[in-house]
Amino acid sequence: MSKLFPVQEIGSLAKPKWRTKGLRQPLSAQDLSEAEEWAEKLGIEDFHDRAKNILKTIDDKTRTKEILELSTLYGLRLFETADVDNEGVGGEQQRVEMYEHVIKAVHGMNLLGHVHSFDYKYFNKGVAESKVSRKRPIYAPEFLDVKRYAHRAVKVPITGPYTLVDWSFSGYYIKKQHDSSPKARKNEAKREFLLDIVEQVVRPEIRDLISAGASWIQIDEPAVTTHPEPQEMELFVEAWNETVRGFSCKFSDHTCYPSEIGYKVLAEYAPKLDKCDQLALEFANRDTSRLGVDGSSREGYTDLKHFVDAGFTGEFGLGVAHVHDFTGSVSSDAGHVVGRDLIESPELVRDRLLFATNIVGDPAKIWANPDCGLRTRTWDISLTKLANVAKGAELARETYS
Amino acid sequence: MSPEIQLAGIHPRSEKLIELTRSYERAKTSWGQVEFQLEQETRELIKLQKSLGFGYLSDGALAWQDQLRPITRSLKGVESGTRYSRWFDTNTFYQKPIVVGEISAGEIDPKNFLQTKLLAGEKNWKITLPGPYTFSQLSENKYYEKYPDLLVDVAVAEREIIKKLRNEGVSLLQLSEPCLVYQPYRETFRDESEVELALKAIRSVVENNPGQFVIQTYFGDASRIFSELLDLPVRGIGIDLFETDVSSLSERTSKTLVLGAVDSRESYVESPQWIADTARKLSEQVDVQDLVFASNSDLKFVPQGVANQKLEALSKASELFKGSR
Repeated sequence: MSKLFPVQEIGSLAKPKWRTKGLRQPLSAQDLSEAEEWAEKLGIEDFHDRAKNILKTIDDKTRTKEILELSTLYGLRLFETADVDNEGVGGEQQRVEMYEHVIKAVHGMNLLGHVHSFDYKYFNKGVAESKVSRKRPIYAPEFLDVKRYAHRAVKVPITGPYTLVDWSFSGYYIKKQHDSSPKARKNEAKREFLLDIVEQVVRPEIRDLISAGASWIQIDEPAVTTHPEPQEMELFVEAWNETVRGFSCKFSDHTCYPSEIGYKVLAEYAPKLDKCDQLALEFANRDTSRLGVDGSSREGYTDLKHFVDAGFTGEFGLGVAHVHDFTGSVSSDAGHVVGRDLIESPELVRDRLLFATNIVGDPAKIWANPDCGLRTRTWDISLTKLANVAKGAELARETYS
Repeated sequence: MSPEIQLAGIHPRSEKLIELTRSYERAKTSWGQVEFQLEQETRELIKLQKSLGFGYLSDGALAWQDQLRPITRSLKGVESGTRYSRWFDTNTFYQKPIVVGEISAGEIDPKNFLQTKLLAGEKNWKITLPGPYTFSQLSENKYYEKYPDLLVDVAVAEREIIKKLRNEGVSLLQLSEPCLVYQPYRETFRDESEVELALKAIRSVVENNPGQFVIQTYFGDASRIFSELLDLPVRGIGIDLFETDVSSLSERTSKTLVLGAVDSRESYVESPQWIADTARKLSEQVDVQDLVFASNSDLKFVPQGVANQKLEALSKASELFKGSR
């Protein structure tokens, strides 16, 4: 893309109530009132015809398909309305969430129950009960809808193999091991499980996506910075390189919320990742909310230097918008707070992009994006934040015109 | 005598309690309903421990939101903030304590630590707390110029908290010190002088009642500092069997050795025979007289059903161990 500072989405949008409810039960006209309101905002011209179909459909499977298709269309139009250049898959409306969505489509995996993540947040953790393999295409059906409706470039975010394995229990793979050391058994089980997930699940999926026309796949690997030990990082690199081997497609990595030394460790290994054209990373979360292109104002972005120093020469997807609850202070020209949300001003986005450009040395290597998916924000907030990211990118572009 | 079995930290919530807490967060359930279920599950867990022959009973800390929070909320000079950090290399997070002033014990409400009402009438209560070194390591220091000053103040404040908990009836305290053996969040691993500093802080916490403390290490290899740990004036030392190179342990000790013999980060339930055999080999190797079987850390990393099966495996292993002596 020749435009400087193109804007991309990074993953999920919140799922509207009608989408969630409609997958469980038939909807009423009242249930679709929110959809009608957004249809006007997003220019969904055939909303009434689609709504009529959804309301009259008795068959659950058909209704589910229609609702998923419609919510994907809404997600894509929301990104287009915000002037996002690459609109992903419309906010991952067809997925439960990044982990469960995949695990449910894998033979040999069983969701064992919920474990604590933090506060009152939990996740349903899977266990490998036998050798894993793919039951059915995981992302390809969604991609076909996206391809049909997207007006702009798309990329397909997929959950990376290292994260899938790290967030699961190894079960079957541990039982197979014979080493006398429990630690050695765990390590060997993890490697075997990981390489099976790559070969039996992720590579077939990538093959299907590329056959269907996907030209950019974003591999989400939030777990990679969890284990900074060399052995684990080498394992991640081995799995990545095996994942992308032989495919002709743009690949990018998305990693966020690392441990304190996470980015430094990832930076060391990033140059070893084959075909990794872009690293899309979270930064806004750790930055100040005041304007400026000096190191103190932009303290959240200094870790970028590790990647440059380590020799990573690809693009950076720069997290310039916070995606979680915000409780800090913000100077009036850098944004404003609405409830629990920070709305970054275009000027703040601009300064973040310009500071990053100074570190990276080439504006053509910087994309603008939120830190992560916006699934915890309302659509109103997501639209406003993304629109400001797009305006901020335009301001940054003006600096180079 | 068969080895004692103990809980070693936070026990997982049931699916029912999980659903209630989620519903409470969405303002669809009252706190009263959550509390009722919490109490019921705590009772069930106490009952399970009794049925499996536990010598010390724990309430499982089912209400704790993370391993540090009750301590954080009991200290002056420490704020909770809203920043969450990863708990070592797990996929769980804790609210990072932010040190903004001189640390001292604040208002200490034992109910934030223990289900005192439900433990009343029981003789031996156990509680698990983060040790002073681990707590200070996992905090963000915005006040102290020198780290040792922070560590000393945490230790002094923790003594106050412990005093209050003892007054409530706690008779065994586990101080968890994973940072002594694993520091994935740091660029350089602690050196000998830092270990000495950490052990000094632990000594200052335990000095008046050494017989009531166990120092538990986990997620890392304890063999490298095993002899130093054995020098601590405490009742027992805990090691993680899934991380520690046990072949290199050779010291004899009269202390209790707490074996983290089931892995809290894996759902596979260890065979009681394997636990008993491993314990036997180790006890011969280090000539230890008194063993405790426990999980290597909080069992909250596995679903509750799995956690309970692991406790049963420990209980059976204890019987097998006794039978083989």
